Amino acid sequence: MDFTISRHKDIDTSPKTAMRSKSRFRRKDVFGWLLILPSLILFTFYIWEPLLENIRLSFCSAKLYTVTGFAGLDNYKAVIGDVDFMAAFRNTFSYTFWSLVIGFLVPIIMAVLISETVHGKSLFRVGVYFPNIMPTLATIWVWSYFFMPGDTGVLNILLGKLGIAPSQWLNNAHFTIPLIIITMTWKSAGSTALIYMANISGISPDLYEAATIDGASIWQRVAHITVPSIFSIARTMLILQVISVFQIMYEPMIFKNGGPGNASISLMMLMYRYLTRDYNVPKAAALSVLVSIFLVVLSIVYMSLTRDKEDKR
Amino acid sequence: MKKKLLSILLLSTMTLAAVTACGNSEAPESTQLEESSEPAPAADKAEDAGDEKTQEEAAPTSDSAEKEVTITLGIWPEDTLTDDIAVHEGYVETMKELHPGVTVVPAYYKYSTDTFMPMVESGNCPTIFESWFTEPQKLINAGAIADITDELAARGWLDAMNPSIRELLSDENGRVYGIPRDGYALGLMLNMELFEEAGLVDDEGYPIVPKTWDELAETAKKIKDATGSAGLCLLAKDAAGGWHFSNIAWAFGATLCTENADGTFTADLNSPEAVKAMEFVKSLKWDYDVLTADPLSEDWGTGFTQLGTGGAAMYIGANDAVAQPTQVNGLPVDKLAMCAIPAADGGQFSLYGGTPYMFSKDATPEEINAALDYLEIMGKAPVATEASIAGMKADAENKVANGVPVIQRFPCWVNQDVLDAEAAIVEEYGNVDPKLYETYFAAASSEGLHLEEPGSTQDMYAELTKVLQTVLTDKDSDVQALMDQADANYQKILDDTFGAAN
Amino acid sequence: MKDMKINNRKRPVFFNKYAEKKDGVIRSYDIKSPSVRAWAIIITLICFFMAIVSLFPALWLFLASFKDIKEFTREVSIIPKEFDWERMAATWKAFKFTKFYTNSLIHVLGAMVCAVLFNGLLAYGFAILKPRGYGIPLALVLWSMMIPGTAGIVALFRNINNVGLNHSFVPLWFAYGANAFYVILFKQFFEELPGELLEAARLDGCGIFRIFTDIVLPLSRPIIMVVAIFAITGAWSDFLLPYLVLNGTDKTTVMVKLFSFKDTPTDAVSVLRASFFAIIPPTIIFALFQKQITDSAATGAVKG
Repeated sequence: MDFTISRHKDIDTSPKTAMRSKSRFRRKDVFGWLLILPSLILFTFYIWEPLLENIRLSFCSAKLYTVTGFAGLDNYKAVIGDVDFMAAFRNTFSYTFWSLVIGFLVPIIMAVLISETVHGKSLFRVGVYFPNIMPTLATIWVWSYFFMPGDTGVLNILLGKLGIAPSQWLNNAHFTIPLIIITMTWKSAGSTALIYMANISGISPDLYEAATIDGASIWQRVAHITVPSIFSIARTMLILQVISVFQIMYEPMIFKNGGPGNASISLMMLMYRYLTRDYNVPKAAALSVLVSIFLVVLSIVYMSLTRDKEDKR
Repeated sequence: MKKKLLSILLLSTMTLAAVTACGNSEAPESTQLEESSEPAPAADKAEDAGDEKTQEEAAPTSDSAEKEVTITLGIWPEDTLTDDIAVHEGYVETMKELHPGVTVVPAYYKYSTDTFMPMVESGNCPTIFESWFTEPQKLINAGAIADITDELAARGWLDAMNPSIRELLSDENGRVYGIPRDGYALGLMLNMELFEEAGLVDDEGYPIVPKTWDELAETAKKIKDATGSAGLCLLAKDAAGGWHFSNIAWAFGATLCTENADGTFTADLNSPEAVKAMEFVKSLKWDYDVLTADPLSEDWGTGFTQLGTGGAAMYIGANDAVAQPTQVNGLPVDKLAMCAIPAADGGQFSLYGGTPYMFSKDATPEEINAALDYLEIMGKAPVATEASIAGMKADAENKVANGVPVIQRFPCWVNQDVLDAEAAIVEEYGNVDPKLYETYFAAASSEGLHLEEPGSTQDMYAELTKVLQTVLTDKDSDVQALMDQADANYQKILDDTFGAAN
Repeated sequence: MKDMKINNRKRPVFFNKYAEKKDGVIRSYDIKSPSVRAWAIIITLICFFMAIVSLFPALWLFLASFKDIKEFTREVSIIPKEFDWERMAATWKAFKFTKFYTNSLIHVLGAMVCAVLFNGLLAYGFAILKPRGYGIPLALVLWSMMIPGTAGIVALFRNINNVGLNHSFVPLWFAYGANAFYVILFKQFFEELPGELLEAARLDGCGIFRIFTDIVLPLSRPIIMVVAIFAITGAWSDFLLPYLVLNGTDKTTVMVKLFSFKDTPTDAVSVLRASFFAIIPPTIIFALFQKQITDSAATGAVKG
């Protein structure tokens, strides 16, 4: 995404623009705008206007949706002073951390491994992609039975067959977040791996052959050819993943309602609570604005950091 | 300016699309308007699942003629409960006779916190709906429900309401926003099948019920050992966990929150008594191991599922929810028993309150009155007219047919004629052995009745639930430290809400 | 060439195919070494394991759906005692899944059309027509990806309500017409269309419309397929906005039903069966179009 944004800057110098004749210029512009207008209206309606409205609400006091006055920064103070805020804040970073450890690396490893198979390759591709088509909710319900403590939980049944004592799974507060990340990785890793695989299969065999002649072992080839070649796409996947995991909400909500204690509550889940448990719209708006600001700042920082490298390439 | 232009354009595009693309799907709804003046046949209802689709039509009809009033009933039964629907159709018939100007539109609405606010916002709130014990104060503060003080006063119902329940449904100025469907007092529901299987019955076959919390732990252990099912279903998923815990804490002598003279509140979640109560709950998991596999997944509803399907032998529940284990979850009507909440050092207490009916903030006084008339016909009002007694009877008959215990109600109205009428109904339709409920009702009319704690109870329950979740999942958790933290958190919330005490 | 054939003959059957291997680190000439052979086998086994892990939960869901509540909560087993289709049918009927399926279908098809149409048009404008000043909306679209989707849900619901579209599928369809991700996919595709072709057509006097219908559209079939597939799986799984908008109507979709289990007392087995019903249609579509879907997943990568 960062790529695309930086890319559109050089559009005005593109040959097509230069080729336009002046008389056509205006008519074409009008037509172009007319064509994209319906879509822009939809964006306004579904994304931009609600966003602005949200920002406005976050500075107001309200009963249900009806604004009753200006509240300045009160809602923001209330959010930050909330007894659950720090836990949600910490956990959200914890989710992000674990998703980088587990969720980011697993698809890359999967892609490298599957690329090396010749038998059953298409089966593996289809197999690992399958969880991605399972609806989120069904996934969460299924995994919640897998993680059920006690001896009838699915994973405990499987452990029992191996002679291992039943585990508490999500009820062990130390493992709640990593385990939730594992379910999310289970669902999404396959589709991400396919993206990496497409990149890997695009690597010219000549590169490998040249490396072999230079005496590179298989591991060296992975380290010096495969990994660098997916570096660019991985960089994009990384920020996309951080953005999406930072907004995690349904998984902790349905798995353990943020528990045990506050062990799995996330910022967006806290926002949903303000909205539905407390009916406090401005407070929810304030929290979601904070999350948005954080993500925008993060993206800008990330882009400016990675852009340097891009220029060097 | 541009934004305005955009929204106008948007509006026209979308309306156009709505007309062209959605014309067909909207059509059946408008026909409902004519039908709704007479009760829709049950089969129809069940077939098209059209629970609430008729809500939208409420507004236009209400102002068409002066005496014509249309009310939407969120209290209509879910479309799978065909028997209950039939009972309500009977009520609608009576309604037509007694109040011919009123059009009744079924609009089953199951209160849910996710959907309530959007529904109110979109003007689709049913005229009357049922909510939960936890919600009234929140809804009052949010201005989401109608003030019905004047209507109730005119009918003389205000003084008939049990004063403590009335307080739960009032704001700080004494305005009333709801009326009780039922009063309730918490008790212990027992699955008799499991008690019998564990041999915990006396010579006459009555359950040997625990009188103290220690006895409860022992009883639960015996059941777990004998049957493999959990002895007790304890809730720890959401605020209901803290709600039940507050009742346990009282038995251990705790007072969780006090109101000060200056309108501020002082939390006391970390008193030695409260900590002892929490230690006891912890021991249920780690010493006795008598709980269901995952208390953190149990909420009000799953608790009844556990009890009804034999997953757990005991569960804290109230008289107004006896349909849950039986009708909903299949426990035979004679296999449900109730006893008083066990006692401990601090005494015996039963939390009591009322399940409220509430009214849309958009409802006109005429609509509210019509809805109150309907309640009268249902027999849920403080009047003992012919119609309301007929309503009570229809309800009782339906309960008998569906295997729901017909037992005494907990008095939410205090006028004697209603109490007598209710007693007569139980006398006539009673389908269970009263002895199975003896100690429960004895406790429910004793000194031990205890209202919810004052203050911001929802937040208190949330804090307590967090502690419950931790002690039930971490064997090494430090109860004192957790309760200290909960106390500090709750005190902060109280100070933020009501001002700090000096 | 001769050498290769000799080598081939020496290899066990399992390794023969490695001669045709076109990508990846392990090349055909590596496979001679015993340690590489061992790795090849290990890697294949690991991949098998990954595929099993990926498929097992769905398989378990299918099996567990046949249990009754007592068997499910008390028996320590994976395989149900009996495969009683009657029970499944009973749950199907009790939950009125035919209705939910129909509703979901309506939701999904509309969403698919909107996703392709509106995002495609927008991207076409951004990538080919480029009307003056288009950089601003483009930047806004791209930045929308960073805004939490649920953040504005309240305000969005108000918007829907204000234009009188509550309780209708229409706002849910149009919601898919405003998806930054789909716009980017389309835009990247359009940008890679051969510019000379478009220019030549323009010089031939083709109008913008003709260029679009005769050249761009036929060439765009792959990307339309990709977005359509994404929109279908997305819309089928979608629940929060449908839950709010369709609440209180008979238009409830499958996912709305699943979401409402969150706070409706429902026994575990019913939840499982409903989840099972919910994954059948995507599974069938996946089985039919697996090649297109897995290919599209790869091409669907945002390239940067």
